[in-house]
Parts: sequence; structure tokens; C-alpha cells
Amino acid sequence: MINEQTQGQLASAISSEVMIEVNKMNKWYGSFHVLKDIDLTVHTGERIVVCGPSGSGKSTLIRCINALEEHQEGDIIVDGIKLGKNLKNLDHIRTEVGMVFQNFNLFPHMTILENLILGPIWVRKMSKADAIETAMMYLERVKIPEQADKYPGQMSGGQQQRVAIARSLCMNPKIMLFDEPTSALDPEMIKEVLDVMVELAGTGMTMIVVTHEMGFAKTIADRVIFMDEGDIVEQNKPSEFFENPQHERTKLFLSQIL
Amino acid sequence: MAIIKAEKTPDRSAPLFETSVIGWLHKNLFSSVFNTLLTILMLYIVYLTVSGVFVWGFADATFVAENRRECYDNSLTGACWAGVIHWLDNIFYGRYPRDQIWRINYGALLLVLWMAPLWMSRVKGKVLVGATVVVFYPFIAGYLFSGGDKGFFMQLMIASSIVAFAINMANMIAGLTKSLGLNAFIIQMLGQTNAPDKTQRNILLLLTALAFGAAYLWQMGWTVEGVSWTKWGGLFLTLVISGIGIASSLPGGIILALGRRSKLTVIRVLCVSFIEVFRSVPLITVLFMATTMFPLFMPEGFVLNKLVQVIIAVILFNACYMAETVRAGLQAIPRGQYEGAHTIGLGYWKTMGLVIMPQALKHMIPNIVGSFIGLLKDTTLVSIIGLFDILGMLRSISKDVPWIGLHKEPLIFGAILFFILCFSMSKYSRHLEVKLSAGKQH
Repeated sequence: MINEQTQGQLASAISSEVMIEVNKMNKWYGSFHVLKDIDLTVHTGERIVVCGPSGSGKSTLIRCINALEEHQEGDIIVDGIKLGKNLKNLDHIRTEVGMVFQNFNLFPHMTILENLILGPIWVRKMSKADAIETAMMYLERVKIPEQADKYPGQMSGGQQQRVAIARSLCMNPKIMLFDEPTSALDPEMIKEVLDVMVELAGTGMTMIVVTHEMGFAKTIADRVIFMDEGDIVEQNKPSEFFENPQHERTKLFLSQIL
Repeated sequence: MAIIKAEKTPDRSAPLFETSVIGWLHKNLFSSVFNTLLTILMLYIVYLTVSGVFVWGFADATFVAENRRECYDNSLTGACWAGVIHWLDNIFYGRYPRDQIWRINYGALLLVLWMAPLWMSRVKGKVLVGATVVVFYPFIAGYLFSGGDKGFFMQLMIASSIVAFAINMANMIAGLTKSLGLNAFIIQMLGQTNAPDKTQRNILLLLTALAFGAAYLWQMGWTVEGVSWTKWGGLFLTLVISGIGIASSLPGGIILALGRRSKLTVIRVLCVSFIEVFRSVPLITVLFMATTMFPLFMPEGFVLNKLVQVIIAVILFNACYMAETVRAGLQAIPRGQYEGAHTIGLGYWKTMGLVIMPQALKHMIPNIVGSFIGLLKDTTLVSIIGLFDILGMLRSISKDVPWIGLHKEPLIFGAILFFILCFSMSKYSRHLEVKLSAGKQH
């Protein structure tokens, strides 16, 4: 599904500061080697799109960055903090790193507003009034403030995904990770979610997006990363990546999806 | 060539046989000759049963008599309810001193009032109401029921219970009249709405302290006479044992279930063995062990009363069953919910308490209430180890000289009582399910 954006390439706001650093990182599921010697440096404000065939390890990579999965070898350093067994560090990283899932993972027993204020109140120790104010601001930014009192089950997939984005933003994260945010959506709803993500990209947020939306990648990405069988095979500027792919696997992949 | 439907098809009402009573009767009861015969046969069987019960239970029954002989003199084919009526106090209160029965009634009334706000949609702070019932009610009720001298600790707890109850009632009134929480209401009354948070909190703390002082002084002025637990009995005892069992087995079960899923091997193994041991032994065995074996392991002269032993046994036994119910509910929650909670920075306990448990408990309501009903009925086993719970009382009617041999009527009466209790629990659980799932098509 290709969604051609009309805005054209967004201006980038990359600083020299390093936000995420991954060194020689390896991960196994049992005896299966999922990620092999991954090296990756992400600067503050950089927007990265990760693509590749299914099973290539792209979701696992960003889940490792958020410490949802444990890696066995190598280092991941997020915002100056090394991920390891230290639980305090993990909780800290998770509050700094927002994540949006394919299946939204909203809490079905709470209203939209309750979903949004849960983190700010219980983790950031905000007062309820302040949390509600922040939540309403973000709901307005994702264009569904009137749905605040509904339950997730009463909304369309596109609306739920926008709520999920707002929920992450309420924690005021430094990095946003997106794990195939539009893959579970009906075609009509993909655009409304991508629009919100493009707008977010315009604010200078550091983003890593796993997606198959190549039109979206062309619009916002500073860098496109292609993964295959646990390796980062190729990374380049989107213009170069799409016009002039170098690796055979990349060429094959692009010819199949474009 | 394009095929186009120019006009929208309007909605029509459903055919009559789908919606009318006659249509329903025809479809479900009289659709064929065989079906009609079956319906008539069933109606006849129902008639025979109901009329038989009616004649025995009402038409030919004796309600007023001094002993069983008078019942027979009145009618040979009817029930002798007079015996049950004569023993009604014993069935409800056991051998509790007759002039002290008001204490049990007040205790029950207190519980009903205390819990009432939980069912009022306008009242705020329901979690707190529920928590105070569990934490404070047992103390004041325990003293009301057993009486005697109050130790210093008991005095503190009774005063706290009184304050908690008073705050709860005031909160209920504030909620019903103004739709406000009590704290907001008081702050408004004192005109301190704009005062800083700290001042507001201090005012509320001061008021609570004053109330506590008053309650403490007041409760020093009275005591109620001691009633030994051996005099407790009847429905009262059944409800005490099953009430404590119900209130403690759920939290116990949750802790055991979490322990069973723990990543720490020692905790997991402990919980698993505990659960499996208690689940593979019949309750009656656990009760016998608690009352006869347990004292053997205790130091010389350490006497725990039998009632406490029985209650502990009931709690442990049911917590283990509950643990498995809770575990089943936890397994129904998709992994994404844990991940969603982790990504907004919630730790283990907050994830469990705010995100996972509320959803899991909702799934588990039918099973939990099923366990509660089982628990209530299982408490009748305590009559075997010599406590006079409701079953014990019903059976001793037949040993009472004027009513000697009267078995049927008391047991039927007991069955009706249990049916009312259990059926209302199960109805309430249905209601709760519907209420909690309202507006959440998932």
C-alpha cells in the first residue's frame, strides 16, 4: 500500500547529539539468531524508517531499544543510559521512549482520557488536572478531542491508533518508536494515522518507524534502513535508497513492493 | 455495462411471527403434533409437582402448634412448619443469648449501611469505601459479636472504625445531595476552595483527628458483655465463616496466583506446592487437620479457639482454588497489554493493579462468584466437626423433645434459605457482568 504524501520532503532538524547508540548487538530467540552484529547510531531529531521482509528482525530491533526484549550481546545506549538488567534503568528508559504498536494496545477497560492520563499521574506524578490538560492538548493534536469519554472498543482502528500515539506523547518522550503502526488498519484509515505521524515529524521528534509505507518513508525519513535476515543490509538517504539501491536484496525487495 | 440501483431500499418491520407472543408459542411449543403432545405432557407433570408441593406445604400444613403431636392432630398429610417457626431464632442466631441478639442485628445493619455507597452512582471514592469495609469493619463487628473487655489495641481500632464509618456515611450524604466527595464538600463549606492544597489537606487531617478523639472518648464509656464463640451458631455463624472466607480468599488467591507466575523460582515453587497440596485434599480433611492435628504442633498451653482454626482452614483452602481461577483470568490477557503498560513506564505492581487485574477480574466474575457460592455451601461441613452452624441447628430440631423426628421440614427450610442466598449472588454476578461490559464492545 503506497501512500503518496503531497507535502514533499520535510526539512530535517538533526543535531550532532547522539540519542541512541547500538554497538555489535546480537539477539537470539532460543537458538535462532534474530539480530546479527547490529551497529546503529541515531542522532537527536533524526527520523529513521526501517523496512524489510517479514522475519527480518526489524520489529525485534526497536523492541530491544525499548527494552521490551532482552539482547544477549553488545550494547544499547539510549539517552546516555546503558540497557541492562537494572530495573530502575529500564523504567527510566521506558518513560523516555514512547512506543506505538501494530495492535494499538490501548487499555480496553478505561476511557480514552483515562488511558492518556494513567502514565502522567502514576509515573510522572502529575496532578490530575494538569494530566487532563496535557491529555486534551494531545487529543486535539491528533484531532479527536470529542472522543475523550469513549472506550477504545467504540472507536475505529485509525482513531485508536491516533489515541495510542497521543498516549505516548503525554509522557513527553524524547524518542518515539513505531512498530508497523498502519499494518492492522483498513486502507481508508491509514492516511489519518500517517498524517498525525508526519505532523509529529515536523516537530523535531526523534523517530524510528518500522513500516511498509514507502510514500511515507520518502516524505519524512532522514535515513532509510533495509534489514534482511537479522542484518542491516543497506542504509541511505531516501532519495538515494529508492532511486539507486546498491544491494541485490534491496533491489529485489523494492521491485516487489513498489 | 454498469448496473445501478437508483433508489435506496427502505427498512420494513419484521414479520409478525418473529415478534408476537403467538408467533413465539407456535414456533417453540406447538410447531408439530409431536411437539404439541410433548408440551401438554410437560405441563401435566409440572401441574402434578406444583400442586403436590402446594397441598403439602401450604394447604394441609400446620403453622401453629406446640409440638409434633399437635401437628399430626391437625393434619397427617401436611408439613409441620410450626417446629421450624418455633426454632427460628435458633436457626438464625444459634445459642446466642436472646437478650443480646440486637448486637448481631446491629452488626448486620452496620455492614449493609457501610457497603450501601458502593451501589450509588453519585457517591465518590468507592475504592476507599471498599477498603475501609475490609480493614475496619471486622474489628468493630468482632467486638460487637464477642464483647468483653476492650484492650488498648481494640479501643484504638474500634475508635478508628467508628470514624471510618462516620466519614463514609457523611461522604454518602454529600455525594447524594451535592454529587461531591466529602473532602471537596467540607472545603466548600468552610469557604477554603481557593486555599493551597497543603492548607486544605491540613484542615481535613485536623478534622479527622478531632473526630478520632471524640470517637475514642465515646467508646471508652461503654462495653458489651462477653459472649463465648461456643454460643455462636445458626445462619449467623455460617455467614461469619463464609463472609470472612469470601473477603480473604480473593486477595489470598491473587497473591498466590501472582506468586505462581513469578520469575523467582523459590516463590514460584512455594506457591505451586501450596496450591497443589490444598487443592488435592478434601475440605473436610483440612478442617479435621486444622482442629485436631494443628494443636499438636503448637507449644504446650497454646490454645487457639476452634472457630479461628476453622476460619483459617476455610481461607487457605479457598484461596488455593481462587488462585487457579485468577491464573486463568490472567492468562486471558494478551501480552500487548503488558507491553502497552511498560511503554508508559508502569512498573510490575502498577501494571498489575491498574491494567491487568481490573481486566482479568472482569473476565473471572462468573468463576469467582461460582467459588463464592461453593464456599458458602461448603461451610456446612463445619457441623461435622462440632460447630452449630445453620445445618447443625436444623438437624438438632429433630432431637428436640417436642419435635422429635422432624427432619424434612427444617432441611427444606434450610434449602430455601441457601437457594435465596446463592441465587441472589449469582443474579448479582450476572448484573455485574452486564454493567461492566456496557459500552465496551471488545
